Amino acid sequence: MNATLQTVIALAAVVLAVAWLGWRAIARRGQPGGGCACPTDPFKARLKR
Amino acid sequence: MRPPVYALVGTPNCGKSTLFNALTGLNQKIGNYPGVTVEKHEGTAYSQHGQPMTVIDLPGAYSLAARAPDEAVLRDVLLGRRADTPQPDRIICIVDATNLERNLYLVHQVLDLGRPVILVLNMMDLAAQSGLRLRLGRMEQALGIPVIPCVAINGTGLIELKLAMSRHDLPLSRHNWDVPAPIAAAVTELQASLTNHDGKQPLIARAEALLLLTDRDSVRVAGSTPLHPRTAEILRQWQQRWAAEGTDWAETLVNARHQSIARLCANLVEQPGVAPNGRSVSDRIDAIATHPWWGWVVFLGVMAAMFFSIFTLAEYPMNWIDGRMAALADGVKHLLAPGDLRDLLTDGVIGGVGAVLVFLPQIMLLFFFIGLLESTGYMARAAFFMDRLMGRVGLNGRAFIPLLSSHACAIPGIMATRTIEDKRDRLTTILVAPLMSCSARLPVFLLMIAALVPGDRVPVVTKVGLILFMYTLGAVGAFGFAWLFKRTLLQGAPSPMILEMPPYRVPALPAVVRQMWERAWAFLHSAGTVILGISIVLWFLTAYPKAPAGATPGAQLAHSYAGQAGHLLEPVIKPLGFDWQIGIGLVTSMAAREVFVSTMGVVFNAQTDNQDTTPLRQALRQATWPDGRPLFTPLTCFTLMIYYVFAMQCLSTLAVVRRETGSWKWPAFQLVYMTGTAWVVCLVIYHGGRALGF
Repeated sequence: MNATLQTVIALAAVVLAVAWLGWRAIARRGQPGGGCACPTDPFKARLKR
Repeated sequence: MRPPVYALVGTPNCGKSTLFNALTGLNQKIGNYPGVTVEKHEGTAYSQHGQPMTVIDLPGAYSLAARAPDEAVLRDVLLGRRADTPQPDRIICIVDATNLERNLYLVHQVLDLGRPVILVLNMMDLAAQSGLRLRLGRMEQALGIPVIPCVAINGTGLIELKLAMSRHDLPLSRHNWDVPAPIAAAVTELQASLTNHDGKQPLIARAEALLLLTDRDSVRVAGSTPLHPRTAEILRQWQQRWAAEGTDWAETLVNARHQSIARLCANLVEQPGVAPNGRSVSDRIDAIATHPWWGWVVFLGVMAAMFFSIFTLAEYPMNWIDGRMAALADGVKHLLAPGDLRDLLTDGVIGGVGAVLVFLPQIMLLFFFIGLLESTGYMARAAFFMDRLMGRVGLNGRAFIPLLSSHACAIPGIMATRTIEDKRDRLTTILVAPLMSCSARLPVFLLMIAALVPGDRVPVVTKVGLILFMYTLGAVGAFGFAWLFKRTLLQGAPSPMILEMPPYRVPALPAVVRQMWERAWAFLHSAGTVILGISIVLWFLTAYPKAPAGATPGAQLAHSYAGQAGHLLEPVIKPLGFDWQIGIGLVTSMAAREVFVSTMGVVFNAQTDNQDTTPLRQALRQATWPDGRPLFTPLTCFTLMIYYVFAMQCLSTLAVVRRETGSWKWPAFQLVYMTGTAWVVCLVIYHGGRALGF
């Protein structure tokens, strides 16, 4: 895989990551621990059910 | 047609959540201490014919006369005062069979509501062990409702309960008790107004009228429908009239209810007396576990043993994960030619996510041991003797559970403060809860200890001592600030705590393992989602803009966006012994503290150009200042741990504090006082340490 193709794929991943993090933060507003990134937040697991 | 709605009602720690989980198959948190449920939770159970039934798990309370917001949730749902929750069609009252008389007060009030009720006598095994004989047939006859003996923790009685729930013809209670004649007129007038003006059904209106007359300082919570002005006026008039007469009818009403329950219990419960020596096993253990001095020895011993086990047992799986991550990164390096994608995968994804994943075994062990302690009932003992200390600093006794929960995560801890009735006490607890070391700090502490005390030369005891010191420092900080706030901003006498001491029980291992797995899964999920996303973005910020060709990896990082931001922050943190690279970690870890670890993974991996991956701990030990001095000296690592003990490094906690306090004022204050304290304490420690030659 040449360097240009690698750069295109890497930058696409970055754009996707930014978009997903932004969407997640907006979607979780108002929930307990809204947008909480804490890995051990027990409320998060419950909210998904 | 909507499915029938069942409400689970009972006193704190009578096993409601265990029964809720058993009925619905959900994994609601349970623990052998009161106050685990502070919000209502809904689930679906299925009748014997496969029909869905909604089950609502409500917070525990000793009475419907609410004294705290969580108790108000229970009262308002049962009285149909909440627009967001359907009024339950049927009620399942769960009582602790070992403590029937005290538990029946709430049941007595619930029976007044005129809804079909099923009475579940939980912990029948413990009742039998303590020699209690309950006459179930007589109980069914006296109350006129199904009475089901049950041991929720192992599922005994569950089938009988589901059969009762499936009945279409659940009988209404024959329960009847004499309201003292002089206040019957007040009850009738209020009942009529509640029916006519507030739209309540007559029986619900009567129950609410009785409640309003005994409710001296009723707690109102957001989302509850207020009383109609006419009803409120009638209530006020009666209260004024009785106040003028100097008669305490509320007390008379409460006493009448207690007498009715005592008469009931006299016929239903046989207690052949206590054990020959007069003390149960729990009593004998408690003589030591709740002793003013031995209690502390036991508590510190238990904590030290827990962390010792965490360090020793987790070492092998941690080394294994570390090795697999390094091998994976090396594999990618050999597979792909140099380029951005290779760097993203090795430095960003594997470096970032891998650095956090290494700590999974320790997180799992921590929650396993905490689960064991909760399940045995030891945590309630810790709350009991901790109450003396908390009382001295002005904290409410009920603050213990929120502060304890904050060791897992400050967010549920702050939400658990809803059990504290006094607003100033509640606010004080909210303000100091994030100082208790949460599990997200653990990876940071562990990384710093690994960098601070290299190799196997240092005994585990030193590492355990350091971790215990950090946890203790957080608790001391929380108590210290609580003392300060209660004497300045939020003055007021602390309220006493009423804590029912549960008997010691054999830990429910499946529940403990399930709870541990739930936390582990949440940790893995976070590593695979949020931390992965942040690591990818962070890699970009460390890789762009590109430095001129031929620049070293270190120069590239300094030239990058992250490097520029770090340099911007450096003047503020340099006095603490932190450089711009650590500064990047301090900024990114506002999302979650353990992101600091993944950030260090990305930042220091980005600076290595060798073909073989260096473990992060080793990379940190090799990092230097521009003049060649080592960056992560023992003093810097120690200072950084202290910084994480005190600093408010969690945006999510701030958002929850905003929600719970209803204003941005308190989270802003929390951010300033905590991070300000962290900065000052670190400054003193760093310069003090240097002056002492460290």
